[in-house]
Amino acid sequence: MPTTELSRISDFSGSATSLEWGVLVVIYLYTAGISAGMFAVSAFATYIGGGQYRRLARISALLAPWPLMLGLFMLIFDLGRPFHFWRLFTVVQYTSPMSIGSWLLTLFTIVSLIYLVLWLPWPIRRLLRLPQRLDELFSPSRWQPLSSVFVRRARGVLAAGGFGLSLGVGMYTGILLGAVPARPFWNTPMVAQLFLFSALSTGAAFVLLIASIGGDLIDPEGLHRERHLLVSIDASLIVMELFIIIPFFLHQALNTWSSASSVSLVLGGPYTYTFWIGVVLLGLLIPLAMEGYELFPLILKEGALKYSRQLGALSALLVLVGGFMLRYVFVYAGQLSHFLPIMAR
Amino acid sequence: MATANGHIPHWVFVMEPQKCIDCEACMISCSVENQVPVGKHRNWIDHSSKGSFPDISLFFAPENCHHCSNPPCERVCPTGATFQREDGLVLIDYDKCIGCRYCMMACPYDARYFDEERGVVDKCTFCVHRLDAGQPPACVETCVGNARHFGDINDPDSEVSKLLATHQYTTIYPEAGTLPNIYYIID
Repeated sequence: MPTTELSRISDFSGSATSLEWGVLVVIYLYTAGISAGMFAVSAFATYIGGGQYRRLARISALLAPWPLMLGLFMLIFDLGRPFHFWRLFTVVQYTSPMSIGSWLLTLFTIVSLIYLVLWLPWPIRRLLRLPQRLDELFSPSRWQPLSSVFVRRARGVLAAGGFGLSLGVGMYTGILLGAVPARPFWNTPMVAQLFLFSALSTGAAFVLLIASIGGDLIDPEGLHRERHLLVSIDASLIVMELFIIIPFFLHQALNTWSSASSVSLVLGGPYTYTFWIGVVLLGLLIPLAMEGYELFPLILKEGALKYSRQLGALSALLVLVGGFMLRYVFVYAGQLSHFLPIMAR
Repeated sequence: MATANGHIPHWVFVMEPQKCIDCEACMISCSVENQVPVGKHRNWIDHSSKGSFPDISLFFAPENCHHCSNPPCERVCPTGATFQREDGLVLIDYDKCIGCRYCMMACPYDARYFDEERGVVDKCTFCVHRLDAGQPPACVETCVGNARHFGDINDPDSEVSKLLATHQYTTIYPEAGTLPNIYYIID
């Protein structure tokens, strides 16, 4: 370092602790991602395969809203003034990712709840009766259950629209962090990409975990198809995540002094083991190897999908643990990263 | 805000680090004046070293909220609680603040703190209550070495304008694009 530069030897600023966002925010970003991923899987399964993935679409649709609603509860609880959360919905602040995100999450929650109702099994759904015409509004005895034609069309419309919203939610969880220039660790577009692919991957893994636990009780043949689809989706997404993580480190290391220093938080710094063992090894590489093992006979066209319930459940569980660790490392390490002073004279 | 002749002031700090002796009297007077919670600060002193042994010197730079002209805290605030006044002051509407702390992530100077008791984020206000009564901020009045100067940069006859006209100066993290309003005299 040239002697004309000043190096700051103490950092004594407004706040005694620089970790303001804690585990509640980590849980919220994680569960929002899982919900977005499950909705995307459901929407995908609604449209492809000519109806052979209906059960997968249904299970994903029925599960999708719940993790996010838990996360939103965590988020509100994390506010300094939880009972003032409604102020988020009095304005639209175009320049604030959190404002846009609040509206997006609300819209997504509503859409995914309506979508859930449409995917309820017939014995339950027939209990839901709605007026067919306006003049029936005040005579509930004449209300009818939704017709199956209407339900099918509405599922299609909500799946298509909600798919876009789910991608938006997945990206939002990353943009919330990435759109903050003051934190060099976050301030790259790759965080939004990484969080989106991780959201879709953990969503698929959550469904995979449920399918591994109870899916072969009815229709083992269907489960085989569903597993093939989910494992293929998940393995592809893990590969994409790896190819974001590699350029992420190259870019950060070759960027400004502040950015290059910020990645030292996971290269020898306090989050090194959590990131490289928790996220990369346990959350990406090992599940990718397990899913690759399942898929290899198909890829090489030498046989059927290798399936064991234990293997499927374990790889899904690892993906879910890795996804949580990814949010944890980014939320915590990002807050510790900051600009470095260069006051040359 | 505008005076009788239509002049709109723009308030800035000009610091003279050479005169700062790190006595921290500014921090005490601020805490008393603004009833800052224990353990939190609205202003502070940066300690930097220059050179290497044996040709080494210490360097103290008083700092507080820069009341940036392009404030990232205002940009990210989801409820519009953080706002910018006509005279450049960046202030918080405590009724609108929900305590999400996103502004604390966005501030490159870490000038903000979370007031747990009230559940809102707070920071230096340039002593807006004193300013609106025609008095300088408490830290300026208290500064033992006269290292802190405060004034209207839109007035060419003000002390800060004269200091900046006759000295070399720098700002902190200009690369953040925040257009900060604390200037540091470096010659």
